[in-house]
Amino acid sequence: MKEKIKIALAQISSRREDKKRNLAKIEQYTIRAKEQGADLVIFPELSLTGYVVRDQIYELAETIPGPSTRKLEQLAKETGMYIIFGMPELSEKTKATVCNTSVFIGPEGIIGKYRKMYLPTHSVFEEKRYFRPGYQAVAFDTAIGKIGLCICYDIFFPEVTRLTRLLGAQLVVYISASPAVRRSYFEILTAARALENTAYLAYVNLVGVEDGLQFWGGSRLVSPAGEVLAKAKYDEEDFVMCEVDFEDLKPAETFIPTLRDLRPELFDELKKSSERL
Amino acid sequence: MLALKYLPTTIKRWKREEVELKPTALEVNLSDVATRIQRFIRTYVENAGVKGVVCGMSGGIDSNTIAALSALAIGGENVLGLMLPEKETYNPKDIEDAKTVADIFGIQTQICDITAPLEGFYESIPIFDPKEKLSKGNIKARTRMIYLYYHANKLNRLVCGSSDKSETMMGYFTKWGDAAADIAPILDLYKTQVRKLAVHIGIPSDLAEKPSTPALWRNQSAEGELGIKYEVLDLVLFGLERFMASKEIAEQVGLEESQVEKIKKRWLAVEHKRRLPLSPKLEYRTVGTDFRLPHSIY
Repeated sequence: MKEKIKIALAQISSRREDKKRNLAKIEQYTIRAKEQGADLVIFPELSLTGYVVRDQIYELAETIPGPSTRKLEQLAKETGMYIIFGMPELSEKTKATVCNTSVFIGPEGIIGKYRKMYLPTHSVFEEKRYFRPGYQAVAFDTAIGKIGLCICYDIFFPEVTRLTRLLGAQLVVYISASPAVRRSYFEILTAARALENTAYLAYVNLVGVEDGLQFWGGSRLVSPAGEVLAKAKYDEEDFVMCEVDFEDLKPAETFIPTLRDLRPELFDELKKSSERL
Repeated sequence: MLALKYLPTTIKRWKREEVELKPTALEVNLSDVATRIQRFIRTYVENAGVKGVVCGMSGGIDSNTIAALSALAIGGENVLGLMLPEKETYNPKDIEDAKTVADIFGIQTQICDITAPLEGFYESIPIFDPKEKLSKGNIKARTRMIYLYYHANKLNRLVCGSSDKSETMMGYFTKWGDAAADIAPILDLYKTQVRKLAVHIGIPSDLAEKPSTPALWRNQSAEGELGIKYEVLDLVLFGLERFMASKEIAEQVGLEESQVEKIKKRWLAVEHKRRLPLSPKLEYRTVGTDFRLPHSIY
């Protein structure tokens, strides 16, 4: 496993319902990342289709593997790149049951996927109407490190990132489609989730205007001490290269020993109390 | 306390019990709002593949503001400001004010006198009653809409609407008339916020403070008809937006609870004006109910 990896934060806008065009953009940015020496390139939540697609989700969702992941598998193989992106995933066992999924592809093929656990359904969000929630946190032991996947609103629930970290993730990749009025929350929470778990956290947000929503961008890499190491522009497409040094986890964990100090019995109490809310 | 200084846009007040219905409650980051509105207009014009926008320019603050924002977003040469006077409500000051803004922002303008078609309507409607102001006035608003859409179709442009949040919540507009548009850039701003935004982007303050009128009949006053100053109405609506109880709103803004209840009832009663026509549920997916598609595919 590499101790240092280079990451490209590919903060793109998507053309809604135009998978062909979005795949072409993903390909273009992946090649650019390769040229700049990146090991991993990360794209936003639902970047394959756009975010505000409503009922069209049933036409756009694909199985994994499926046509789009096969194209990106080929791209990863050709470039030697690792790619993380978001797409609506059609369950193989059904005809119209869809998850909001983050997909992790490498030169060796599909490494894994994560289905968003917390689906916002309030204010402008209507994800529970369309998506089945995921039930499993994930962390993958890969040639470029131990990497976990989470999506957007999951960040408001510290147990998701914590579980991902406890599964072994040293870099937690959050893909997102966050509209501008919520920017401050994510700026706070990305730092908090990284710090409290002493893990790297890469956050890649969508940009562009979809219906009335304006996605704010601001993608970033946060250190295990909560420091913003690299940051993309607000509100416009951007491409930012940054580096993760897994050696930095050691001093972070010794100085901020939150994992050592974990109290498992509190989780039992948390479960009981949350059931009684 | 959450680090409020990091909140960049309009959502600064999130905890109901902390809402104080004072004028400061309506303060927004004007620079940020102006940027977002311009980006919204620019994106929709570009993605729709049209050549610009058509705005009705009555000389009032809402239409002056959307015309100016459009010009800042896509260039004044791509904005057509239509002035649509008619003899009963004709006021040369309105034309002058619209022209002032058009000159500042380089907006193209066109005057179309709509008196003749209006008189044609009056003469051709057998039950037409000249004394009944509202039905007659609504013909004017809908006729203006026809002119806006004719120019938009002919010139391959979008109609940029001037509805604001105060009048939209109150239903203070003509159904299928002045609210008819392709995009509505200031729909999420209360009237008093629009006035501040107008000054921020360079509209002269005397025009920003000009009393609003729908110009459906002579000397019509929006505040007169609504029975309340916008400075107070906006605070009431702001409280309703944040789920505050009528009693609490009344206490904070210095109104009787019955007055707030009256505003609340009106807001709820006119939802039909803000939506597609209601249809009985008969089939698999129903337009306007559970046929849920993106507003546009752009």
